Amino acid sequence: MKILVLNCGSSSIKYKLLDMTNNEELSSGAVEKIGMKGSFLKHTRRDGQKVVLKGEILEHQIGIEYILGILSSEKHGAISSFEEIDGVGHRVVHGGEKFNSSMLITDEVIQKITECIDIAPLHNPPNLAGIKAIAELLPAVPQVAVFDTAFHQTIPDYAYMYGIPYSLYAKYGIRRYGFHGTSHRYVSRRAADFLGLDYQNSRIITAHLGNGGSICAIKNGESVDISMGFTPIEGLMMGTRSGDVDLGVVTFLMEKETIGSSSVSTLFNKHSGVLGVSGVSSDMRDILNAKNEGNDRARLAWEMYQYKILKYISSYVGVLNGVDAIVFTGGVGENRTEIREYVCKQLDYIGLKVDYDLNRDARAKEVLLSTPDSKVKVCVIPTDEEFMIASDTIEILQSHN
Amino acid sequence: MSEPIIEAIERYGLSKRNRKRTLFSRIGVVGCGKEGSVIATTAALNGMEVVFLELSDEAIANAYARIGDKLDKKIGNWGLTENEKKAILSRISGTTKYEDFSGCDFVIEAIRYDDNTGERRILQRKDVFKQLEKVLSTNAIIASNVSTVIVTDLAAELEHTERCIGLHFLSNIPDSNIIEIVPGLNTSVETYNKVCQFAKLINHEYVQVMESAGLISIRLFLILLNEACGILMEGISTVEDIDRVLTVGFGHRQGVFRTADQMGIEKIVKLLDNLWDEYGSIKYKPSPVLLRLSRAKHYGVSRGIGFYTYDQAGNIIK
Repeated sequence: MKILVLNCGSSSIKYKLLDMTNNEELSSGAVEKIGMKGSFLKHTRRDGQKVVLKGEILEHQIGIEYILGILSSEKHGAISSFEEIDGVGHRVVHGGEKFNSSMLITDEVIQKITECIDIAPLHNPPNLAGIKAIAELLPAVPQVAVFDTAFHQTIPDYAYMYGIPYSLYAKYGIRRYGFHGTSHRYVSRRAADFLGLDYQNSRIITAHLGNGGSICAIKNGESVDISMGFTPIEGLMMGTRSGDVDLGVVTFLMEKETIGSSSVSTLFNKHSGVLGVSGVSSDMRDILNAKNEGNDRARLAWEMYQYKILKYISSYVGVLNGVDAIVFTGGVGENRTEIREYVCKQLDYIGLKVDYDLNRDARAKEVLLSTPDSKVKVCVIPTDEEFMIASDTIEILQSHN
Repeated sequence: MSEPIIEAIERYGLSKRNRKRTLFSRIGVVGCGKEGSVIATTAALNGMEVVFLELSDEAIANAYARIGDKLDKKIGNWGLTENEKKAILSRISGTTKYEDFSGCDFVIEAIRYDDNTGERRILQRKDVFKQLEKVLSTNAIIASNVSTVIVTDLAAELEHTERCIGLHFLSNIPDSNIIEIVPGLNTSVETYNKVCQFAKLINHEYVQVMESAGLISIRLFLILLNEACGILMEGISTVEDIDRVLTVGFGHRQGVFRTADQMGIEKIVKLLDNLWDEYGSIKYKPSPVLLRLSRAKHYGVSRGIGFYTYDQAGNIIK
């Protein structure tokens, strides 16, 4: 079965064509700068050869047309006709409280995703544009929506509510929704398999650390808390996002710098985090280099970044009443061995033991880092959201047939 | 790994059918002075490609500098990042030739004042409309940034008057995200609706205003200013205190004298003269205070002195 996975952002579309019969990636790529000058499509063929197509791509529908065009082309393609595509799986950012699992896309589902635009004005419209484009271009192919928020719908109310008037929750749906759900679900399941744990009877903490980052507490296969909140800005300090900040700082700054809501949003989402503190970069590789060259603010940003990770993981140990496994994933989680080392050393009091030599060599692959006598298992599991979306798509299509 | 293969994308389209361009993906601005540059920047900020026309290469360079300044201010206020600035600037291009507007589905004329004298330019503006009609397709919209001039008049000599419309950006007030949309007598409903869509695309609210000199904004503002000048002249209060009553008391974002200095006293006198001509009411007669400042060339922020005194960056010194 061949599944096309689409991730439509505001000005980009990422895609992957997977053959799920043998878990093989047939092609992948992305359309970038939609509606802007210099738009292009980059495509990686099955043989690894990269192809760049340059030209005007004015909207999502046109971008998807070109994706289908190159996938079916004789020269660079992977399929000879669209009938080979059995389903299309979409990443949809916000399902609000309406969706707690992936869904076959119907008019009703589209209507509900549309209703979530209010709380995800930047993300849901492009996701919908992608769904509509496929409906028009491949009307016979079933589509499935996989939500970033769905996995976290199991979080109990005392953990998802904010301490603000209840009427605001009732009126606007202000609460913790959490994100990266597809990734946390994939790596926690995968980790249970890999470590030989019973997923339905386990306490797992997953750390998805990339340019954006979140930590998730998973009990018996269900998310019970997540560091991201109503928007992706809460929780860890990230590449350019501040993470947790005392609200008093926001109102103070609005007054002192005479700025309004849109500037505040840019300030905390784009000027802050590792970039804002270090003044160097939002990329942890640059920060590490600068820190090693003696840049003190890079050192500060680095230490703040890892401290915040430790703080969340530690608090989730309490939330879960102990922990069976800690999983690192995402670009930073899979590759930054120093951060894993710091966190694990600080957690030795719970009986966690890690083979640090092994840790130093473990990058971007599944590795068990903890020693056999460790009370807590620690591992690296590279995330694969596209695979998760594709396997959800297949599962739903099969259950509907 | 071998080098990537680079090809043109067009061959990979699924259909050869002529694609409809998204509306307002490319717009034009004639005159990139104080007002034109605000319009160009706003459109580019919202993802549109903007072509602006100026009289010379030097004027183009000045316009770029003006736009760059605006974006830097936004960065300074935390409202933008350096990378976003680069992306926005890459969407803006200057030209001296009308032909470069071909392919634009929307062009806004914004040359209503001479930057040096504040002189208004009805004849030149009519000429701009004619030049635009020559290069644009018949369904492209021609708009004029108007406040006291009547768009029906500007469009009178064109073949397709139904696609002409007036717009008024309150470009002197920072972040005033509202446009007055002014259909002329011959403006089609389709044109009006498209312009409303344009307003939404650039994240502005809009109000429809009947064609009239001064619209809502200018008419209200000028009367308030004239009355404030009266209070000042009678020795009842000071510039600072009058502005303070408006900002603190009425919640205006800035006082009337501060706004006048930003707009330029020379332009304000001309606007009042216009309303006086149109309506004949004594309330539109420019206050002697304004005439005095205008004669002394104390035009406001642009000259470093008006009701207030300013430093180079336009901040009030006293």
